[in-house]
Amino acid sequence: MSKLKKIGSILFLVLAFGIFFIFNSHEVTGAAKQSVTVAKVKNAPAGLDDPVWEKAKAVDAPFEGKERFAGKKASVATKAVYTDQEIYFLFSWKDATRSVTKGAWTYDGQKWSNQKGNEDRISLLFEINRIKNYATKGCAVVCHVPEGAPNAKDGKFGTSSAAEKGDLWHWKAARSDPAGFADDTWVTVISEKKGGRKGDAGKGGDTKNMTDDKSMPKYMLAPGKKLAKNGILLASHSVEIKDYSVFKTGDTITYRMPKMPEGSRADIKAASRYANGSWTVMLYRQLDTGHEDDVAFNPRKKYNFTMALFDDSGDEDSYDSEVLSLQFGR
Amino acid sequence: MIKTTGKSTETVFDHLAISGIARRLQELNVRTDALTWHRFFGALLLVLLVLLVLSGAFMAFYYSPAPGSAYDSVDYALFTVPFGDVIKGVHHYGWNLFLMVLGVHLVRAFLVGAYKAPRQLVWVSGVMILLIVPTFIITGDLLPWDQKGYWSTQVRLSIIGSIPFIGDFIVRLLQGGPLTGIVALTRFNVLHILFLPCLLVLLIVIHLHIIRHRGLSQPFLSGGNFSTKTVPFFPVIVNRWLILFLCVTLVLGLISWYWPAPLGDPADPTDSNYVPKPEWWVLFLNQLVTIFRGPLSVIGSVIIPGGLAGLLIALPFIDSSSERHPARRKKVILVAAIIAIGVLVLSIMGYMEHFRASHA
Repeated sequence: MSKLKKIGSILFLVLAFGIFFIFNSHEVTGAAKQSVTVAKVKNAPAGLDDPVWEKAKAVDAPFEGKERFAGKKASVATKAVYTDQEIYFLFSWKDATRSVTKGAWTYDGQKWSNQKGNEDRISLLFEINRIKNYATKGCAVVCHVPEGAPNAKDGKFGTSSAAEKGDLWHWKAARSDPAGFADDTWVTVISEKKGGRKGDAGKGGDTKNMTDDKSMPKYMLAPGKKLAKNGILLASHSVEIKDYSVFKTGDTITYRMPKMPEGSRADIKAASRYANGSWTVMLYRQLDTGHEDDVAFNPRKKYNFTMALFDDSGDEDSYDSEVLSLQFGR
Repeated sequence: MIKTTGKSTETVFDHLAISGIARRLQELNVRTDALTWHRFFGALLLVLLVLLVLSGAFMAFYYSPAPGSAYDSVDYALFTVPFGDVIKGVHHYGWNLFLMVLGVHLVRAFLVGAYKAPRQLVWVSGVMILLIVPTFIITGDLLPWDQKGYWSTQVRLSIIGSIPFIGDFIVRLLQGGPLTGIVALTRFNVLHILFLPCLLVLLIVIHLHIIRHRGLSQPFLSGGNFSTKTVPFFPVIVNRWLILFLCVTLVLGLISWYWPAPLGDPADPTDSNYVPKPEWWVLFLNQLVTIFRGPLSVIGSVIIPGGLAGLLIALPFIDSSSERHPARRKKVILVAAIIAIGVLVLSIMGYMEHFRASHA
């Protein structure tokens, strides 16, 4: 080997060493925040047990309890895959009880009353437009701000300015899952009456099943229809009760009836299973719905998101995740 | 190119009154030694510089230098403008490659003794270019207003602030106030896209001007004589540059496509938990600052780096013998090797501390 070639080899090694540093440094730097990598798949998962989920690496996102759950911890195994058109999430978490009551009516032979008990839920919040400090503080700057903060009022919350918008996915075991959807909502600047949470354009959510005097249910299962998953009565399957004498002691009727969503509100479809003390929930949606009230996923970009778990509890009692990063694999 | 008006024939160059320059370039012949592979790095640097200017100009069209909008403007340029992230990647990887190739270019010049008389100022201007390049990266880092850029700048400003007597003044000058805010961002932007490019171009012109007049370093391994063959600068050299430009653009473009340039989370000045990780090229300096703490910090932040820079600039005047063969410059090579090993060891230590440790 000539001396010139030796010098050339040394220079090449120096260059290669530098390149190694650059690429490896990025990899390590990016690991600072827990990251969910969305695996690219050709065929969309057909369900919760589709083998395609094997291609996605599960991330155990840690959650910390708030209020009633203060001091407690939880974790949700999170996977995600995407096709050219859609993104799919698979969540799995332990829960000793399947809670789908949500104040269902029960008849004691003389009168109707609402049962105690709420429902299990999981929610995700993405940024549609950048929310100040959301990437570092997460839900502490949107959903769980202390009372007295400019974007909190009477237990309701929102963003601090109209320019900040969040996309809130809300899977509810009693109020959305039986219809096969997660409630697609969004968060904007807090307002005097309703906070900053709004339903996406279209129809959806649930309707309260009660008479005008709020003393008993107004609707029952329509003839020829079946109760949906978890024994829930869908609004579209209900009919007004004409004769209350048909009910006997111990009968129950859904109090919060899920409505079949339409329009942008119907973007997030859901499938779920409760078994062996665990929930497994799949949510999926178009990468880009084209709706202004939805985050548009660009596979070349990273996204920050947070999650909250509700274990048979209301909005104030939850387990909250730290901020997670969502990045798309190739 | 040629335009006929009446009986006279005038070229565009005539109209622009640069026909003399154009003619000299057309008549310029370059020794074939200029085409050897180990002299290739200078051409690569010029090509990279053009790419950096073009990609930087693209991003400047979309950039808004205010803390409230800087991040969103960069985000828009990357992910909404077609191929924006590829162009940003070319800029990002281009700078890193520029710095590496510049280092290799200087190492090569050192090994073959190209800094020896009569080419001392070629070396000095080259070292000046090497020293100015990191300031581009430092000022450019802050511009996206992301966590890494913001907190890296805070660390760098604190190091600059530790310089005795003038440190605070320089920090104030850069920040324009006590905090890194809109004035600092504006000043960093102006430095990055206006002052520093002008200074760099000036230094490159000086560098090339001196090379033009003092000539290429002689090939010491072939008896010290140039080949008698020459090639015309135009079109042979220019065409090679164009081909190199296309190749480098393609390679950097592909790298940027598959490994997009990072854009971190938006800067949060209240998030003091964020610990920026030093860039690869500054790991050894960062480690020096880590070793020399408290009252000794000036050793790591000023004396050693300043001494090394001074040593580099003064090299042609310290090693003034006419001997160029590395084997017959053992003392200089030994000192350089010790310094290089020191830099390498410190860099590895810094790498282990800042990157590998976080995995544990």
